[in-house]
Amino acid sequence: MSRRIGRLKTNSDHSSEFVIPISYGSTEVIETGKWGFQKPQAFFQTAPCQEACPAGNPIPQFLYLAGEGRYEEALEVILKENPFPGVCGRVCFHPCEKDCNRVQYDEAVSVNAMERNVFDVTFNHPPNMPPLSDADSKRVAVVGSGPAGLSAAYFLGRFGYRVTLFEARKELGGVMRWGIPEYRLSKSILRKEIKRILQLSIDVKTGVRVGKEISFEELDRFDAVFLSPGAGLSLSLGIEGEDLKKVWRGGDFLDRINSGDKLRIGKEVMVIGGGNTAMDVARSALRLGSRVTVAYRRTRAEMPAIQDEIHEAEQEGVRFEFLLQPVKISLLKNKKISVKFQRMRIRGRDQSNRPKAIPIQGAYVTREVDGLIKAVGEGVDLSWIPGTLCKNSLIHVNSSLTTPHPKFFAGGDAVDQPRTIVTAIGAGKRAAIAIDLYLRGHNHDDVFSKIRVGNKGVLSMESYLSGRSGGNWSEPKEVVSYPQLNTLYFEHSQRVEMSKLGKQKALKDFSEVNLGFNSKEARISALRCFSCGTCNYCYNCYFFCPEGAISLDAFHQTKYVDLDHCKGCGTCAKSCPRNVVEMKDVG
Amino acid sequence: MALPAQQPNLLRPGHAACAGCGLAIGMKLVLQAMGPRTITVIVPSCEGAIGGVYPNTSYGVSTIHSAFEIAAPTAAGIANALKIQGKDDIQVLAFAGDGGTFDIGLAALSGVTKNNEDIIYVCLDNEAYMNTGIQVSSATPLYAWTGTTPEGNPRRKKNIMEIMAAHYNPYSATASIGFPRDLQQKITKAKGIRGTKFIHMLVPCPTGWKTPSDISPELSILAVETNIFPLYEVEDGKRYTINREPRRLPVQEYLLKQGRYRHLKEEQIRQIQMDVDEEWERLKQRAGHSTQIDK
Amino acid sequence: MPCINEGMSMKDFMTGNHAVANAVKLCRTPFVAAYPITPQTAIYERLSEWEASGLLKGIMMRTESEHSAMAACIAASLTGVRTFTATSSQGLALMHEMLHFAAGCRAPVVMANVNRLLAAPWGFWADQLDSLSQRDTGWIQFYCENGQEALDAVIQAYRIAEQVYLPVMISLEAFFVSHFMEVVDLPEQEQVDRFLPPMDLPHKFDIEKPGFLVPVVSSELYRKYKHMAQGSMDSVKKVAAKVDQEFKKEFGRGYGIVEPIMIEDAEVVLVTAGSITSTARMVIRDLREKGRKIGLLKIRLFRPFPVEAVRDVLKGKTKIAVIDRNISLGSGGIFCQELRAALIHSPDHPLTYSYIAGVGGTDVTPEVIQKIALEVMNRSEPFDKPIWVMEE
Repeated sequence: MSRRIGRLKTNSDHSSEFVIPISYGSTEVIETGKWGFQKPQAFFQTAPCQEACPAGNPIPQFLYLAGEGRYEEALEVILKENPFPGVCGRVCFHPCEKDCNRVQYDEAVSVNAMERNVFDVTFNHPPNMPPLSDADSKRVAVVGSGPAGLSAAYFLGRFGYRVTLFEARKELGGVMRWGIPEYRLSKSILRKEIKRILQLSIDVKTGVRVGKEISFEELDRFDAVFLSPGAGLSLSLGIEGEDLKKVWRGGDFLDRINSGDKLRIGKEVMVIGGGNTAMDVARSALRLGSRVTVAYRRTRAEMPAIQDEIHEAEQEGVRFEFLLQPVKISLLKNKKISVKFQRMRIRGRDQSNRPKAIPIQGAYVTREVDGLIKAVGEGVDLSWIPGTLCKNSLIHVNSSLTTPHPKFFAGGDAVDQPRTIVTAIGAGKRAAIAIDLYLRGHNHDDVFSKIRVGNKGVLSMESYLSGRSGGNWSEPKEVVSYPQLNTLYFEHSQRVEMSKLGKQKALKDFSEVNLGFNSKEARISALRCFSCGTCNYCYNCYFFCPEGAISLDAFHQTKYVDLDHCKGCGTCAKSCPRNVVEMKDVG
Repeated sequence: MALPAQQPNLLRPGHAACAGCGLAIGMKLVLQAMGPRTITVIVPSCEGAIGGVYPNTSYGVSTIHSAFEIAAPTAAGIANALKIQGKDDIQVLAFAGDGGTFDIGLAALSGVTKNNEDIIYVCLDNEAYMNTGIQVSSATPLYAWTGTTPEGNPRRKKNIMEIMAAHYNPYSATASIGFPRDLQQKITKAKGIRGTKFIHMLVPCPTGWKTPSDISPELSILAVETNIFPLYEVEDGKRYTINREPRRLPVQEYLLKQGRYRHLKEEQIRQIQMDVDEEWERLKQRAGHSTQIDK
Repeated sequence: MPCINEGMSMKDFMTGNHAVANAVKLCRTPFVAAYPITPQTAIYERLSEWEASGLLKGIMMRTESEHSAMAACIAASLTGVRTFTATSSQGLALMHEMLHFAAGCRAPVVMANVNRLLAAPWGFWADQLDSLSQRDTGWIQFYCENGQEALDAVIQAYRIAEQVYLPVMISLEAFFVSHFMEVVDLPEQEQVDRFLPPMDLPHKFDIEKPGFLVPVVSSELYRKYKHMAQGSMDSVKKVAAKVDQEFKKEFGRGYGIVEPIMIEDAEVVLVTAGSITSTARMVIRDLREKGRKIGLLKIRLFRPFPVEAVRDVLKGKTKIAVIDRNISLGSGGIFCQELRAALIHSPDHPLTYSYIAGVGGTDVTPEVIQKIALEVMNRSEPFDKPIWVMEE
């Protein structure tokens, strides 16, 4: 301590008050922040589940809010990126869960069930999603009200454009309305979601088919057009007898059931095909009282249907026969249908690198059934679209979903993209952004790379909106990988499985099979989320800062570091389980 | 994630703890749970140095800096005086280090505990005399390096919880800064009990344990998960409750992250593992084979 | 126990220890922290009895050592309550660190110390070295001649301590005073209540305005607080004298900070403290009757050393003999050291002789004192070394 002669310097008068020294000042006047050469910074990243979700659902964010019981906010957060949480929560094939970092720790987070849960809980009081911008006089047409079309209409409506939605049929919804059975997606849920979208003052024209009620050229009146007619043509097998009247096309079959028709298809039913349509067809046939067998030309492992669907079909009693390819269908005198199958085996791979099935020469088997339904894929009806916009039996688009004609955009099953509802929803968003950029005269390419979520082609509407007015977007976030997490702070816990109707009850009618989570299950499931790359207010940094220099407000989602006192020890960065804090050198 | 109680931070920043100090984390968490109606006793030790020099202090509650070995009777004197004055809503908290608890302050602590004086006594255990350099104390674990045991400490750590249990005081508990909610719950519980409450808190010291400045909470978790420092409570010296079923990681996971153990040989690690396993069995027996997970 | 009521107060027959205990009760001291040690135990036990029965309202801490007892007293004092402890010899020595601490905290603790010899070797007999070796700790020190004086000193001590904010130690010799039964005048409670206002400590803990008591300070600041304390200690000479006068007014008994006995034309003055004074009074009277001009000076207040009072009383005296019931090895009797220092600038340059009598509790009989007095009368040369009086 330096020796001073002369008057003592104190910053407090109180020493003269008492006969002993008592300190009343606070050490906060000492700026211990000068000790360190590193300071913490929030480093938000994308979680792998967000990257895997084609619609770009903000998964850690909505799970956090659901876990806090803030369900309306959770739903709002989803609705900013995806207008169909209710539908996705029922029918999505949840690629998010496959990429979930928690898989490497114990089991994936139940994202799909939680998306459903958020919708279910807010069913009676959903939030309002008004337009974000002032009404714009530009007019955009959307053709087809399936998931891609409705999604595009929603986002365009949010931008403030005047949207006209053309739908050939009498009701909106596309494949969601006509292609998916009630036991998987209840139509009341679909109606609720569509109603929410239509609150954006979208001009709906049902019963209007382009190429019939209006011509393609009339679409030119609009400032931009989004084509999403879907894939509604059942593909043929290319074999004798397939056009017999008694042979159902899968799409028609489901359409009739979803129209409320009571169908009779016979006791023994066979379904040809291995995709989701085939599974829906098979399980619907079960509910009509038939015994159902699915015949597929390759093995179970190659079936393109969602694993959950195959599993549920098996549980419900659908039988499977593999490595059978139909070669001839004929009608027998006793009104039964005879199907002759070629036995197949797996050898090598085809052009798309899938295991190839080749016939076993001379090996045939014949089955006799009362009903036969073929569900081997769907094609697109391009008859009403100018050929210049088509290629390879699909509408031709580039990576920003623009057709060769700059005003015309397309997406959904009608273009070359995976055929899932959530991919279509993502396409609607992508197209809406592309249209917005087009209508405002911006170049597309670098924007898409800035607003991407990870590297699998997913976009974030929130990112887009953040730079939309200024025309300036910041760099996108990186994806958090498992080794970057600090799993010491996580407890092992098992996934909660959703309860379902028992088999007997399920097959009685078309009631929804999955029953969702109760509040306890939901809370456990939400809290299992590691929240990779996003702060979920676990308060580790707050608790573990020796200086008490970090303050958090979970409700308003703010974080603050007292740089005057942060010594740069790095504890906050190290103890953040989700890699959200980084130590950066400061000058 | 429940919001922590909105308590003011009663260990104000600007204090002189080393960067990453586990003891500062521990004190902050304890004072937060204690609240402003507390009188605290500090002794010469790291906590004394941390608190600052006149005219500034880091302590946001009334505090006295007493002599080294008398944290307990000083706190007891204050508690009794408050009782005489009829002020029964003011808590008295004594902080002492492992030196001031296991060694020089042991007799005084024992005297206060046998009288069941109404105080909360928190031992901030960084396993050596850290304020004066790094010298061995009877809280230093087996084989750990210190400045006065450069070949490794040849003696095992004293079991202070057992010493306290022998007094039949109403409440004792171990706590780790890696489990802040558990720690604060225990302090809150102690506040509601009359008599001598003892909290044995493990606080890693980056300087003395020779670790990087950012892993004090991690080490505190590993100490619990390897069973080296189990989390448990003792009531009336008789009823043992284990608070957490640990993951039973091998002791190396904790030991080899610290420079003070870098010299450990295979057989020493084995010895430590054996001792830890044996102690855990004994603790489980005392807890009557019923482990209660309360978090 | 025969009791005689005389006017307001009540007379009782009790030991010095019990007199002290009674004083503590009369002062309404609510906080006692103590540890037993012969010959203090009677104080501790009597207070324990009263605390258990509710006659002494308050809390007694039965600590595990004297060191902790003093720690608790300081802490309780700083919380704002009146405190008391008692100890002796080894216990006082064990408290040493805490004695400095108490004075440094300016805590008005009052302690009764039963003067007992310090080991090694062991013994339990009267010797003043235990309290005298604490003379640098910053405690005010009084030496009591008998049980009555011990009782009165406790009451006065609180008044002084709570005014100047320094702790007070009152000493009474083992067995000669502590266990000696005598008639004691017990004041009425109302008198004591009148005499002792409730304690108020400005620097106590304040929960509304949290401060850090007794922090680390700079060298300059430490010096400043020590300087302040010295000023307070100095003022005790006047304060103690005044308090004693007020005590006399209220209770009818006064002692002064020093007491001169038959000193006016004395050629030799004996200086004593504690119980030896009682014996010396008799001897002086006898010698005077025999025509010897011998006087006596009793030192009651030892810290602060009453330099001015002593100089005043000993003006014109040229031969002084201090009788010390203690020995500071390598130096001499401590009362004599202090007296010599006080008289160093005296124009009379008195010859001051240091007599060591009573160390280890040996009897200081009238014969011993007479022997000292007569011997001094025959001395005319300065003699620095202590003169041990040992009967063969």
